[in-house]
Amino acid sequence: MIERELDVTNRLGLHARASARLVQVLSGFRCSATLSAKGREVNAKSIMGVMLLAAGPGTTVLLRVDGEDEAAAAAAVTELFERKFDEGS
Amino acid sequence: MRLPVPGHGASRGSALGRARVRLPHVLEVGEQRIEDVDAELDRLHAAIHVVRGEMRALRQRLHGVLAQDIGEFLDLHALLLDDPELLQGLDTLIRNERYSADYALRLQRDRIAGIFTGMDDAYLRSRIDDIDQVIGRIHAALHRREADAGGVAGEILVADNIAPTELLQLQAQGVMAVVTSGGSTLSHSAILARSLHLPLVVGAVQALSKINDGDVLVVDGGTGLVVREPDAADLRAHRARTREYARERKQLNRLRREPSRTLDGVDIKLWANAESREDVAEAHALGAAGVGLYRTEFLFLNSNVLPDEDAQFRAYRDLVLGMTGRTVTIRTLDVGADKADRTGLTLADEPNPALGVRGVRLSLLREPLFEAQLRAMVRASGYGPVRVLVPMVCCREEMVAVRALLARVIADLRREGHEVAESIPLGAMIEVPAAALALPGFIDLTDFLSIGTNDLVQYLLAVDRNNEQLGDLYTPLHPAVLQLLRSVIALAGRRGKPVAVCGEMAADPLFVPVLLALGLVEFSMHPGTLLEVRRAIRDCELGALRARAPALLRARDRGEIQRWLVAVAGQGRRLPAQ
Repeated sequence: MIERELDVTNRLGLHARASARLVQVLSGFRCSATLSAKGREVNAKSIMGVMLLAAGPGTTVLLRVDGEDEAAAAAAVTELFERKFDEGS
Repeated sequence: MRLPVPGHGASRGSALGRARVRLPHVLEVGEQRIEDVDAELDRLHAAIHVVRGEMRALRQRLHGVLAQDIGEFLDLHALLLDDPELLQGLDTLIRNERYSADYALRLQRDRIAGIFTGMDDAYLRSRIDDIDQVIGRIHAALHRREADAGGVAGEILVADNIAPTELLQLQAQGVMAVVTSGGSTLSHSAILARSLHLPLVVGAVQALSKINDGDVLVVDGGTGLVVREPDAADLRAHRARTREYARERKQLNRLRREPSRTLDGVDIKLWANAESREDVAEAHALGAAGVGLYRTEFLFLNSNVLPDEDAQFRAYRDLVLGMTGRTVTIRTLDVGADKADRTGLTLADEPNPALGVRGVRLSLLREPLFEAQLRAMVRASGYGPVRVLVPMVCCREEMVAVRALLARVIADLRREGHEVAESIPLGAMIEVPAAALALPGFIDLTDFLSIGTNDLVQYLLAVDRNNEQLGDLYTPLHPAVLQLLRSVIALAGRRGKPVAVCGEMAADPLFVPVLLALGLVEFSMHPGTLLEVRRAIRDCELGALRARAPALLRARDRGEIQRWLVAVAGQGRRLPAQ
């Protein structure tokens, strides 16, 4: 299992579009994935879960991935957060 | 026993068939337990599978302006439909509690709604509507399967209300007619039903209490009369109406070669909105004056690679050749952040794409992209008359910038040895209220105007036309809309600039007398409704309508506007045969 703290730095936070992006990225991996913030843990492969987390800009979320390809998944998600979900190219 | 259920006729046509009643909402389902857990899970998953297929089919059917308006909702809904949280929650409720699939849907919906309504973010709070729609679709599919695997083919849907997206889907499934207890004849759904030629009766308030699944109904979308268990006279009347409508259709087809001329001999120019090869061929065959709106988004949507200058040039050239010398109006790219996902463009996410970087704003921010598009259009002008139309203009500065770039592109291409038309008229879409109000300050920079009523009405009234809950708040028949249209048309007339209306308002025969009274002489619409608009024009007396324009502009509310419509029907306009 890998845990990683990630900062939500994109302008809008984990809105519908960013959530969809995250879910799409993770759907390519077999490992399980969760995000937690504000004392709530959600399935990071669920658009509803991620939207329900309502993580605005400036929030720190904890990513937890567990499974065969967890390292690659963690790297892909970290990169996505760093690219600010491709907002504002 | 025979029972008349009166409503309002919203879209003409006569239908005879069995009723398919859709109860208002999944929310009203009470607690139900089941015995066979596995069978119930199968039932649920079969329904979800059906909905997934329906959405995929619907997505593929969409084209034109509908693809833009509705496609994005469908994309989000498709993601929700595959959501593991939603699905596992449902399975757990059925497996552990032995609840019926219906009740599990309701519980799951209520649970999610509870979390959503607790959020402080208004945007996220409003996403519960999407979840409601997805759950509603699954609920509907559960019941469709029980009654008949064939969907609503050959049946008459009876419901409380109908969303524009559903109408399209229902028609694809072969529904005969739709009857709703709520709704209005001026809603977006009603306008859409008329353009789809799908009989629709709205405001049949007793429909849900008096009609049961499987009842035989006769529906007249003209008068709005619905009859449950029709008697011999009703059936005779239905046959007569069906013949009458068929005859009308035949007469309509005879109008293919007739001019769009009013009773008092004024020719009205009918342009076609056309994207596909079929549209262009049809527009040509129907005698359209030319293409009044070619939306270039379709070259960009559903493609990961931006079409380059040559690819665009070939598309525009083929369009010009297809219209054999008639003028073609090509609109520059009109996408915003909400659609950019489906193009090769990367755009920043925006909280409110309707008010964001879209239309000409995007073009001016991405000059190389814009220049390539203008070059392709100008090169196409070597093959026949081309006009360039700019969307989402809101101020003079934008027209100054576009005009300068267009002049440079024309000069460049001539220097490079391309054949370029002598004149390439440049026009502005009037769809932002500010552009309509500030038009006196920049009309000198335009050669023609095109009023996009879909967006103009939406921006002017601050009403999203696909928001079902706002019902008939979205309507072009609002005094503010009519006054703004009047001022734009009058100014264009004084300055000698051609002006057309290219929104759905121009495609609806109902609005023809209004637009003619306001001074409009150019309409642009999908070829599918061109003949009906032509027929409506041929039933109008322009002089009489214009004389009554002051009364129209004095109308204070929709009721008064509707009374005006009824009054002119007797005078400058023949009543359509009922």
